[in-house]
Amino acid sequence: MTATRALLEVRGLTKRYLGVTAVDDVAFEVEAGAVVGLIGPNGSGKSTIVDCLSGFQPADEGRWLLDGHELTGRPGHLIARAGLTRTFQTVRAYDELTLLDNLRVAAQESDGVGWLQALGRGARLRAAEAASAARGRDLLATVGLAEYAAAPAAILSYGQRKLLAIAAAMMARPKLVVLDEPVAGVNPTMIRRVEQVIHQLNAEGVTLVIVEHNVDFIMSLCRRVIVLVAGRKIADGPPSLIRSDPRVLAAYLGPARAAELGHGHP
Amino acid sequence: MTPGWLRALLVLLGIAALFAVPRLTGNEYVLALGVSFATFSVLSGGLNLVYGYTGLLSFAQVGFFGIGGYTAALLVTEGGWPLWAGAASGGMLAALVGLVIGYSSLRLSRHAFAIVSLSFAFLCMIVARDWVSLTRGAMGIPGLPVPVLDLPGLPWRLSRPADFYYLLMGFAVIAQAVIYVVVTSRLGRAMQAVKLNEALAQSQGIDPLRYKLLALALSALLAGIVGGFFVFYLTIVDPSIFDFYYTETMLIMVIIWGPGSFWGVLGASAVLAALPDLLRFTTDLRMVLYGAVLIAAMLVFPGGVGGWLRRRHLRRWRRPSLAAP
Amino acid sequence: MDAGFYLQLLLNGMVIGVIYALVAMGLSLIFGVLEIVNFAHGEFYMLGAMLAYFLTMNMGLGYWPTVGVVTAVAVGLGYVLYEALLASLQGGGFERSILLTLGLSMVLQNGAVFLFTTTPRMVQTPQSYTNIVVGDLRVTLMRVFALALGLLAFAALYLILYRTRVGKAMRGVAQNRDAALMVGIDPRAVSRLAVAIGIGLSGLAGAALAPVYAVHPLMGFSFVFKAFAIIIIGGLGNIAGAAVAAVALGMLESVIGGFLPLVMVDALVFSSMIAMLLVRPQGLFGSGVRV
Repeated sequence: MTATRALLEVRGLTKRYLGVTAVDDVAFEVEAGAVVGLIGPNGSGKSTIVDCLSGFQPADEGRWLLDGHELTGRPGHLIARAGLTRTFQTVRAYDELTLLDNLRVAAQESDGVGWLQALGRGARLRAAEAASAARGRDLLATVGLAEYAAAPAAILSYGQRKLLAIAAAMMARPKLVVLDEPVAGVNPTMIRRVEQVIHQLNAEGVTLVIVEHNVDFIMSLCRRVIVLVAGRKIADGPPSLIRSDPRVLAAYLGPARAAELGHGHP
Repeated sequence: MTPGWLRALLVLLGIAALFAVPRLTGNEYVLALGVSFATFSVLSGGLNLVYGYTGLLSFAQVGFFGIGGYTAALLVTEGGWPLWAGAASGGMLAALVGLVIGYSSLRLSRHAFAIVSLSFAFLCMIVARDWVSLTRGAMGIPGLPVPVLDLPGLPWRLSRPADFYYLLMGFAVIAQAVIYVVVTSRLGRAMQAVKLNEALAQSQGIDPLRYKLLALALSALLAGIVGGFFVFYLTIVDPSIFDFYYTETMLIMVIIWGPGSFWGVLGASAVLAALPDLLRFTTDLRMVLYGAVLIAAMLVFPGGVGGWLRRRHLRRWRRPSLAAP
Repeated sequence: MDAGFYLQLLLNGMVIGVIYALVAMGLSLIFGVLEIVNFAHGEFYMLGAMLAYFLTMNMGLGYWPTVGVVTAVAVGLGYVLYEALLASLQGGGFERSILLTLGLSMVLQNGAVFLFTTTPRMVQTPQSYTNIVVGDLRVTLMRVFALALGLLAFAALYLILYRTRVGKAMRGVAQNRDAALMVGIDPRAVSRLAVAIGIGLSGLAGAALAPVYAVHPLMGFSFVFKAFAIIIIGGLGNIAGAAVAAVALGMLESVIGGFLPLVMVDALVFSSMIAMLLVRPQGLFGSGVRV
């Protein structure tokens, strides 16, 4: 453990809806370069945490900082520009735009081109557009969608849309990406592809927080796992520790799964 | 797709043809159609920017149009201002009003904005009718004087219908050029992103409010200026400048080919500006027809004719190899 | 300016307020259950009035039979409207429904102008000139009838919404569509009924006011804008709120109209609506539906 400041610090995050506390005083840190999984049963508050951290829902209490910069209370688009991007559980894409344009849109607020320049044909704009097109093609290649670069996003399958969303979240060179259920409803071949993509992106230096229901996926992919139950963090550590933590097994995995995990199934 | 230079050439030829019309015919009826086309193209182009590109259903355009008209009329008749300044001021006032109602209601929701824009248009009509000390009430300001456009070195008295044709057509070309530059730029791309998936756009750093306000203010500015010119063509400004008829017509122009299509809306404006007169329908029947078209469009062709064609076009991408791996 | 004058104004205002309420409640019900803003709502008010004129003047039908027929026709039209146009719109997006109903309003309004011209007509029967005099107050019999009709309609609506299963289902869908679906409520049946009732109320309002004010094809146009303002001020989707706001508006219009040009009241109404949206978007009484 180095003494450097964590990339993401979350302190005392709390969110209440109509009398129910969806997120209850959750705190954690994410080191730069880590791949952290966030698991928990339905209603444990995982998606709410994602929404709060990314500025899509207001938190009632708590603070969070990205690389020392305060993100608390800021609106979604500013948090994205500050370097924290996310994907959505209900996979979102611009159906009528081509895949490449989908990616180019994702980059345009972060490449330093001002409004007036945007309307002209100046060198700055052309350079920025060329750079984002190149990066877009790279990312499409990484996620295996390069051949559809000029196709409208509407033609993609569900799993392909998820890959596109991951690529889009990467376009603006974020410091930290939060993936919200990247493999939910996706077939096993595609799950393996997503896993490969995440490994590759992490190798290029991106920090990832992955929220998922698919415990197997998280356990094999992440070096660190946080477990949430009923809005509270009940465990935080490497998969081996989580697998055998009695509280986790009891509250979340249930006796049958607990037995399975105890026998070392991945 | 035709090559860029060919399209540019065709556009230039088209513009040249439009400007040649008054030389080829002195027929006032034709010139009137031209003025109508020019004016509606600016109105529908602005509505397309707001609704077609940014996805914001707005009924406020006619309000901006009339505000521009009244402002220009008052500044010229009461203040002795030159026409260009009157119209420009009308445009800027309209843009300011647009920003105010936009900023206050867009923070709520699209529903709220649609209803507020509708009531704003209605309110404009009521104010024009009832604030007699300002707007002269239901009689309006008739007998607007022949305007003089003080171009550097060349004062231009707009005394003939052909003069107004040149003025309005000229402004329409400028307005369409401005709109074209915006929608083909990354600003236009951002607006489309806001329309197609606002939450996704936000997660990519795009501020939806900023782009909605930009579209609204720009459309208001253009509508206000063309309103300022248009009332001098009519030589009268009265509350009928806020008539719902304008709103209904612009909506049809935007919807029929498909909201969001630059050339589609421009083409629809041309056809719809000329067609009704050619068909010799009374206004009422024309509105019944438009209403029916609107209903049919919403039921069967929500994306307009162009949208339907685009969907058919999509099929060429649907190949067996696209099944999820 | 004596108390009698004020009371007279208040009474007149209450009559028109009650009628406003019928139209506004119908609009609110449709919005609450279907999430559709029915732009054509005012045209059904106008059609109700025109049919009432026709039945009374051309067919010699009495007041109450006329009202009955018009209401029945309006309810029927509501069913047709739902099945033919609105059913396929469910979940199709807000803009589509506004534009569709706008198109419908254009067809109905301009069709009526084309067929009947904009000349206003007055329903004139022997009863039109009967007044009821109580002390200083003088009210036309037609206004009394309209008030009675309105109150009857309120009562009927209340009974339907709060005492029948289908009414409870309507309220359920208006408050939380997803929950209502999970409980097994059939959205089509509920929506159909909501539209039928909403349009029925509109037509009834038209029939009630036909003998009181002039009848002409454009009368629905300004009415619907006022109805929008009312339901926003009262709270979108809140039917009782719409009723209260409507009656208050009627009385306010009448009282202020006694001293100021009525036209300024219109501007006041719309400015209040815009102000309400900015300051308190859920309306005075809170909304059943988020704005």
